Amino acid sequence: MAADCTVKARPAHRIVRIAEDGRPRIEAYRCENCGAVTDSQTMACRACASRKPPASFGVGRTGKLWSWSVVHRSYPGVAVPFISVIVDLDDGLTLKGTLRGVDTSGLRQGLPVRLVFDDAGGAHDKEGVPYVGFHFVPQGDA
Amino acid sequence: MMSDVYIAGADMIAFGRYPDRAYFQLGAEAALMALDDAGLSIKDMGAVYASSVFNAQSMLGQKMLKEIGQTGVPCINVSNACASGATAVREAFVAIKSGLYDAVIAVGAEQNPRGMLGGAPPFGPPPEGLFGSESMPAVFAEAGMVHAARYGTTVEQFAQVAVKNHHHATMNPKAYYRRETPLEEVLASEIIAEPLTKLMCSANVDGAAAVVLVSERKARELGMGRAVRIRASVLASDPYEPRNPEMFDPNSVTRLAAAQAYEMAGLGPDALDLVELHDCFATAELLHYENLGLCGDGEAGRLIDSGATALGGAIPVNVSGGLLSKGHPIGATGVANIVEIVEHLRGQAGARQVDGARIGLAHVLGFGAAAGVHILEKA
Ligand SMILES: [Zn+2]
Repeated sequence: MAADCTVKARPAHRIVRIAEDGRPRIEAYRCENCGAVTDSQTMACRACASRKPPASFGVGRTGKLWSWSVVHRSYPGVAVPFISVIVDLDDGLTLKGTLRGVDTSGLRQGLPVRLVFDDAGGAHDKEGVPYVGFHFVPQGDA
Repeated sequence: MMSDVYIAGADMIAFGRYPDRAYFQLGAEAALMALDDAGLSIKDMGAVYASSVFNAQSMLGQKMLKEIGQTGVPCINVSNACASGATAVREAFVAIKSGLYDAVIAVGAEQNPRGMLGGAPPFGPPPEGLFGSESMPAVFAEAGMVHAARYGTTVEQFAQVAVKNHHHATMNPKAYYRRETPLEEVLASEIIAEPLTKLMCSANVDGAAAVVLVSERKARELGMGRAVRIRASVLASDPYEPRNPEMFDPNSVTRLAAAQAYEMAGLGPDALDLVELHDCFATAELLHYENLGLCGDGEAGRLIDSGATALGGAIPVNVSGGLLSKGHPIGATGVANIVEIVEHLRGQAGARQVDGARIGLAHVLGFGAAAGVHILEKA
């Protein structure tokens, strides 16, 4: 990752957390009452309405492809084509992302994939601070 | 005892592009057409429900009344994504059902922005492409691919929805696209998000539609000959789904609304003579065949292949041309679907008339999510 080591990078996606040491991770929330997993800290469980707020947990980086679309036309200025995917992470959270490093003929439901943190396309905020994003690659790839 | 609710007037302007007219003028025109159809005046309306997405904060209803008569009645402006129109009709239904009013009007009017419709940019770098696609074609492509992966549904079966609905639109003078599109043309048009091509995406147009709802007492006074009874008026919000909101689920919210509507109407899908459903993209129509119970899970591909959902088939779907070809002016869509059903139940749908139609269902789906289902019956 091409982050400036003197500046702590900022998350490019609401699901990304940056630890004190600058290392990124994915955090999700699980209801202790019904087990429902969500991507944000809600006031009560959105599945069972339990008033005990869902507890955070660190999410691993492996998962399986649930759905996908090869996108050929998007908003103006967005480079196409790219592969938009829905991934069920093995720990229970589902994420949308971009899948790289795979031939479209290899796309199938259940394809094992891995989440990789990246520099969010080299984006920086207006103070020059870099961002941390993520994408998916097939498992086994670097 | 609570009275049944009837539709006494229903009409819509032709969907298309109206660069020289304001959205509230389009709404005002549809309102006058529906009032004329009912034989009533704006002065007879106890309340006004006005629906729009892109002009939701503009006091659309009041602007409309400034065009056709400021009667001083309650005017409620409604926004609920693509389910806005159905939401306005449902609020009008509740108002009559409550006994407070004998006649109210629901109007949907929209001038869509041009180009691909999408969400607002959040913090940080623009997410599109970096984190998959948030565009509506990609979202509904992904929903369709789940069906394809599970049941083997083919690109050709999705494309047949566009062939069918474009064919239907050739018989609807108020539809925007009125041109046959053979399967080869649908498949060969620009690929937007696989498996969706451009001809499998809804038409981005302006439009307006209106319905006048009345109590049973008022319906009898006007004469029951042209009245349409609302057997069910249901609105649902999305229940928790493990993959939501990262993956939009068009299915569970529609199934929830459909189950409640069938229960309220006291009938099942086999009693329906026609359906107008939310074909924002061709993939969505097949998903909703199953969500609305027109066939069993996994059978939607075979249902479109059988021809049952084409005009002349056992359960014609989107004979108006649907959102794909009639067009999708967001806030007007849910009212226009109901206008289409009313025309068939009255036997006034011209070349696309479903013979002997007595009961019809109108469905819309709003991203975020909301689903509206209305079941109408010839009185
Ligand atoms: Zn819970």
